Amino acid sequence: MIFSYNWLQSLIDRKLPKPKELAQLLTMHSFEIDEVKKVGSDYAIDIDILTNRGHDCFSHIGIVRECAAVLGFKYKEPAVKLKENLKIKTKDLVSLEVKNKNDCSRYTARIIAGVKIGSSPKWMQERLKACGLRPINNIVDIANYVMLETGQPLHAFDLDKVTKQKIVVRRAKLGEKIITLDNENYGLDENVLLIADFKGPIGIAGIKGGRSSGIDEKTTRVIVESANFSPKVIRTGSKRLKLKTDASWRFEHGIDLNLTEAAINMAMALIQKIAGGQITKGLIDFYPNKKRPSVLKLNLKDVEGFLGVKIPEQKIKKILNNLGFDVFGKSGQTIKVRVPTRRLDVLIPEDLIEEVGRIFGLEKIPSVFPQVRLSSTIRNLNLFWESSIRNILKEMGFFEAFTRSFVSQQDVDIFGYNLTQLVELKNPPVIDYQYLRPSLIINLLKILKENQKFSQGIKFFELGNVFKAKKSKIKTENYEEKKMLMAISENSDFYQIKGMVDLLLNKMGISNVWYDDYRSSPEDSQKSFWNPMVSAEIKVDNQEIGFLGEISDKLLKKLKINNSLVVFELDFKKLKEIASQESAYSPVSVYPAAIRDLAVLVPSETKIIDVLNIINNQGGRLVVDVDVFDVYEGEEIPGGKKNFAFHLIYQAEDRTLKSEEIDKIQEKIIKALEKNPEWQVRK
Amino acid sequence: MLKDIKTLKNQAEKEIENAKDLKDLDRVFKTYLGKSGQVTKILRSLKDLPQPKRIKTGKEANGLKDFLNKELEKRAKILEKEGEKKEKKKEQIDITMPGKKIETGHIHPLSQAQKEIEDIFQNLGFSVVEGPEIESEWYNFDALNIPKDHPARDVWDTIYLKNGKLLRTHTSPNQARFMEKNNPPLRIIVPGRTFRYEETNASHEVGFNQLEGLMVDERGKITVANYKAIIKELFEKFFGKPAKIRLRPGFFPFTVISFEMDVSCSICGQKGCSTCKNTGWIEVMGAGMVHPNVFKYSGLNPNKWQGFAFGMGLERLVMIKHKIEDIRFFYNNDIRFLKQF
Repeated sequence: MIFSYNWLQSLIDRKLPKPKELAQLLTMHSFEIDEVKKVGSDYAIDIDILTNRGHDCFSHIGIVRECAAVLGFKYKEPAVKLKENLKIKTKDLVSLEVKNKNDCSRYTARIIAGVKIGSSPKWMQERLKACGLRPINNIVDIANYVMLETGQPLHAFDLDKVTKQKIVVRRAKLGEKIITLDNENYGLDENVLLIADFKGPIGIAGIKGGRSSGIDEKTTRVIVESANFSPKVIRTGSKRLKLKTDASWRFEHGIDLNLTEAAINMAMALIQKIAGGQITKGLIDFYPNKKRPSVLKLNLKDVEGFLGVKIPEQKIKKILNNLGFDVFGKSGQTIKVRVPTRRLDVLIPEDLIEEVGRIFGLEKIPSVFPQVRLSSTIRNLNLFWESSIRNILKEMGFFEAFTRSFVSQQDVDIFGYNLTQLVELKNPPVIDYQYLRPSLIINLLKILKENQKFSQGIKFFELGNVFKAKKSKIKTENYEEKKMLMAISENSDFYQIKGMVDLLLNKMGISNVWYDDYRSSPEDSQKSFWNPMVSAEIKVDNQEIGFLGEISDKLLKKLKINNSLVVFELDFKKLKEIASQESAYSPVSVYPAAIRDLAVLVPSETKIIDVLNIINNQGGRLVVDVDVFDVYEGEEIPGGKKNFAFHLIYQAEDRTLKSEEIDKIQEKIIKALEKNPEWQVRK
Repeated sequence: MLKDIKTLKNQAEKEIENAKDLKDLDRVFKTYLGKSGQVTKILRSLKDLPQPKRIKTGKEANGLKDFLNKELEKRAKILEKEGEKKEKKKEQIDITMPGKKIETGHIHPLSQAQKEIEDIFQNLGFSVVEGPEIESEWYNFDALNIPKDHPARDVWDTIYLKNGKLLRTHTSPNQARFMEKNNPPLRIIVPGRTFRYEETNASHEVGFNQLEGLMVDERGKITVANYKAIIKELFEKFFGKPAKIRLRPGFFPFTVISFEMDVSCSICGQKGCSTCKNTGWIEVMGAGMVHPNVFKYSGLNPNKWQGFAFGMGLERLVMIKHKIEDIRFFYNNDIRFLKQF
């Protein structure tokens, strides 16, 4: 909110520090100052009032009170004396009915008759302008002026335009309509609270006045309303009508119930002074539950116990007193503090400590290390493995990326995702952020494409959460949030990246890794983006933990990416669980190993894993490793066939293997391989 | 014959002197002392000479042989040394040539910074825990003393999901999540991605990283002064030098005595720039003492426990440390940017 420096100064006798210095003091003790700007002979100070202080500080008086407390003294509010015309009673001119005291906890009104509508004095106009308000006429300007000074929104309207001079505060009925002072038309419903007369709405309570009862140049009898409406109701109504005003903003934050009277009296005195007229006798006041100051007990020891600095008792009391709190009793270390009703934010003793702490000065609190019991930290395996993966992939030449968590409708269409799989945003902040990413691939491909303009042979990986919608009757389980590792490599071949996956898993201590044919399930939309001929599921024992493959040419074409891409994806949670399982140490055998070679001629389409499985099964524990050293297809080999060549490494833990023993196993393996009529072991 | 020996000596001496290298010297050796060398020939012919002449010539010839052997050896040593020198010259490499480049990848600067901060806190006895990015209204707001239909909620510009959940606007829900399941003393930090309904610009991203901290112990034991010490430690370690910090009043419904923490702007050296909005300070953290209601909602007795909580923006810290002026660089993933970390 914007404040006028001159206005603030006019409210107290003491000289305020210069605007910039004052801004600095307020920043350190009360609220941050966004800007100090010279406006004519005045300064406009933009103060970022904290939301819990909207009750009392959306007002010049509130800020002056803060200034005084920061400077070390107490601000005294001026008392207003009204000259009423005792012959005319207000209650004879207007009647009031509040339908629900929860919607409107207080409604005060006064009437002034015989006013002359004109423009407001120059000094008032200047102050309003400094605060960003446009002057209209003397009555409306005074209402705004009082609001800016006290924080209480007022509404002035023409008494003679109120049918039957009866004011009703009630909820709108569906279908009712109102034209506001600025000539806007609003359709209403029961969410909106109204000021109405016998005929219908004359104002939207706490938000904006209606045109039908507005002040014009012919107005002579003015009724001023100073009320307190429910923050919730005003907030709902304001959201419903999409109409935010200076008044609604203040009501939303809640205002002191006891402020209405002081504000209306100030307005009346100003109107009389500026526009003339007679103030009728008495205040219309609907105030069923009078709000009284609450009392908090504050243990002085707690001040130090919270802040970590000792503040003398006298100082504590003085600070509270300067802020308008009343310290009135003490027993032992506990003082009793009466909280003024305007401080709706002060509810518990800790709130008082906060007040003392900030006025005393947060900068005066020393830095002291805590003295607490030693306890060990929880080891976080997620972080441990994430960090390991990052390091391993970095060494292999991958760049870690942080891509955004959102994807667009267009992305979803290109990748062929089914909408039922996606988690959709209700209020996307950007048009392209419609869904949460169902996979890391989409945005990784985008950044890869961007980088192709400057680099080649790009390798990226990302560790991040992906999101999918799930069918579930339990509402909390209708989605899945899952951490994935995805890596993407430009111009690499499948086997190169497969080797990297092997190395990564190996470094994480995961063995029993194998690769299975990719089988797409019927609901699997991903099939469209893999090249089915060059893709595999990554498995550990019987569990699928990820995927490795080439991106399909079709998708690359759609994305306008020129180079071939190999990608692998691993489920981080599964990876972590497998890697974290205790792995037993197996002793290094002290007995020599023996190597035998084996070559098998097989049909071209035979997979090496099928041959390896037989070798391993037949070889048993004594074949400790099988090394593929050649795969050959071509000259000297019959058409439609290829040759696998292996080194078989034989070793026992407890003895030197004898040659005959090895030969026997080797024979067994050969026999088993030759059971397949299409396979031929080359001797 | 004797005259021949003298001539031979002069000739051989000259040749030894002129030998360019060991190979050449070897040739000289062969010419005089080899199997059919000239001196060898003389020695072999001795037996045919008459007695007196044989003795005299033999003495002279043998003397020449010894002399030549010594000279050859001397010359060989010199040539050997010279040869070594030459060899060395040939072997000497140009150490100023650039080394062969080995390309490795890079870890994202945000990951690096997060790890650094985690390490600093772990050394202080804090555990690192995590929480979900899709969050419920309860944990994101209600459990943190941010009531429904309250203007305070507007401060957190929230992205809602069609499934009734929301994207966490801060890492603070994990205060409640952790306190529900663990008894004090508590010392945790929670890193993670958070989201705000915001326009993307140089200082704002819709998705960004926060780091939450929580320290709770018996009432009276953990104070604002303690918070200051811990945070100073963090910044001194993270920035590697004493950093200027300041606390100013703030408001968060889940803390009572709340403050904002600013760090001196390193980008302009506090002279004023767009990053610090010409104030010389950059807001990096909100903090305060845990509100009794938050303890209550998490099932802890507020009369028994006390502590501080804080939340900071990871990007901001990295921007300050490396003088990066635009937050979007972190998410554009330009290799030329990532390479520098």
